[in-house]
Amino acid sequence: MSLPPAWAIPVVAVAVAFSAWCLVDLARAGQVRYLPKWAWAVVICVSVPGGGLAYLIVGKARPAASVPWTAPGAGETGIAASGPLSARRVPVSPVVIEVDQLTKRFGPVTAVDALSFTVRPGHVTGFLGPNGAGKTTTMRVILGLDAPTSGRALVGGRRYEQIIRPLHVVGSLLDATAVYGGRTAWFHLLSIAQSNGIGRRRAMQVLEATGLAAVAGRRVREFSLGMKQRLGIAAALLADPPVLIFDEPVNGLDAEGVRWIRQLFRSMAAQGRTVLVSSHLMGEIAVTADHLIIIGRGRLLADTPTDRFVSGTRQDVLVRSPRAGELTGLLTARGAAVRPEGDGGLAVTGLDAPAIGDLAAGHGIAVHELVPRHASLEQAYLDLTGGSTDYPAGTPAPEGTAAS
Amino acid sequence: MTAPQIAAAGRSVPSRLVRARDVLVFEWTKLRSVRSNHWTLLIAAVVTLGVTAIVAQSAASAPGPPPGGPVNPLTSSFLGYGEYTVLPVTVLSVLTFTSEYASGLIRTTFTAVPRRRAVLAAKAAVTGGAALVAGELLAFACFLLTQAILASSHRGLALSHPGALRAVLAAGLVLAACAVAGVGVGAVIRHTAGAIAAAVTVIYLLAVLCLVLPSPWGDRLGRFTLPFAAYQLITVHPQPGLLSPGLSMLVLISWPAAALLAAALVIAGRDA
Repeated sequence: MSLPPAWAIPVVAVAVAFSAWCLVDLARAGQVRYLPKWAWAVVICVSVPGGGLAYLIVGKARPAASVPWTAPGAGETGIAASGPLSARRVPVSPVVIEVDQLTKRFGPVTAVDALSFTVRPGHVTGFLGPNGAGKTTTMRVILGLDAPTSGRALVGGRRYEQIIRPLHVVGSLLDATAVYGGRTAWFHLLSIAQSNGIGRRRAMQVLEATGLAAVAGRRVREFSLGMKQRLGIAAALLADPPVLIFDEPVNGLDAEGVRWIRQLFRSMAAQGRTVLVSSHLMGEIAVTADHLIIIGRGRLLADTPTDRFVSGTRQDVLVRSPRAGELTGLLTARGAAVRPEGDGGLAVTGLDAPAIGDLAAGHGIAVHELVPRHASLEQAYLDLTGGSTDYPAGTPAPEGTAAS
Repeated sequence: MTAPQIAAAGRSVPSRLVRARDVLVFEWTKLRSVRSNHWTLLIAAVVTLGVTAIVAQSAASAPGPPPGGPVNPLTSSFLGYGEYTVLPVTVLSVLTFTSEYASGLIRTTFTAVPRRRAVLAAKAAVTGGAALVAGELLAFACFLLTQAILASSHRGLALSHPGALRAVLAAGLVLAACAVAGVGVGAVIRHTAGAIAAAVTVIYLLAVLCLVLPSPWGDRLGRFTLPFAAYQLITVHPQPGLLSPGLSMLVLISWPAAALLAAALVIAGRDA
């Protein structure tokens, strides 16, 4: 059945009000002493379907069948009733986020520049980059808040705007402070639930699971940043969606909250969900994410599993010896690169630790320290993004840069 | 994973009607859950009835017919209503959008309902509907209060007097029109201060400007403004230089319609 779009409702309401007024006007002006039969016919023809429409809107209309990633008989919310946040008896249907040649310009500033990547289900994907790299802009385009200058971002093969009842597919939290302070936590969450046909019981359940049930009746204005974060996370989890998108979710959380949210991400991914979490700090994300997408100045720098990101980057061997000068000559002759470190140590690349040890022993050079070193995740990340920081410390920031 | 596959996965698509209801309920919950809305409305009602009583009392105690003609028992019912109800309700309706833009909640709203025109329509319908109910209630209260006070000097009107019921109904409709116009202006301008200034300009100041224009032009232009059109609807004897009540009704509908149209044109294309 094809129905009129939503904007038709106020139009119909105004039309009905206008017709009613016209009838009253005619009667009052004495032009009709009583309404003729055809006028009653018009009134009935308008008011009966109008009343039916109102009845359907206000009351009884319900979605016909269940939602796919729902346990049978899960009720009106489309969510399994038991369990704190998710108790799926049916596996999550996998949904992929595809960003394809995405470019977004704000006037002269290019926030995102021909960015392409795919976020797969079953993983926590860390979305990393320095401040101003374009992480938030990319997420906003994925969520249909910003229109891309070119390229596209698809969730489950569709643009976000094309998804019907999108909270059932994507749960997101961009900015936890973006709430209206005069509303209570309960009404904030309830309104969001209602917008996507989610019931009160589920809203209450999510509040309880995020530890906010006791403060549900308090106005959001009084909340700390950490409580607002929890409220935002509660809203994202309302419909138990297969895709989760979080922008800097750890900000403002206390240690317990941080641990809670990390466990949440991991368990969500383990259930087969697609989890995209942004951060500008590698240390924060490395413990949770098993896949990394790193961008700088709007461009893709790395798209790799977390463990391979570390092993694929810089590694060297630290050597200390009383006869460092002699050893340097030998190592260089073997083709290794030697960089003296400040404290008398040598950073050797191109030869591994056993080869260096053998070489020194063969020439009777004592070695006091021989340590193979991997760059830390943090160091590898800094090496990668070093050239692409918009505001390196010590340099004044350029005016009018929009993205973050 | 493509779109048909998602559909094939079994997620039923709720009908447009159900989705429209969802958005309406969404906006209704947001409207009713802000405490200051209730207080503002209550204070506006109290002040309006107080001013109405004062106006009626001074009309009742005026010795004989005043110079400008006999006391108009109908129009004087709505003097307080026209300012102390219409102005605060207009401001509240402007805030339905601008407060969301100011706090950033609009991004949550558009993430929950990406069809932004549906959000606009729902806000207009919910705010306009609430204003219509409040307006009709207050209009009847103002009319009955005024007539009760005027009855002491035998100048009152009954609701059955020709044109009286129409005027009272129209007064309620004026409030709804101003509220819907406020929603549209708020959606277009987004910033609270600017949007309130623009809405007050549309609803009051254009008419005030027309009052000070030289003779024929004041009425010629003024009849297309909201207050002149509203005046034609709430009086038993429409002024001859202005539009007929029917056309005034059209003017009354056109302003909010124009504001909504402008909002619908800009709201979808902008970055939220």
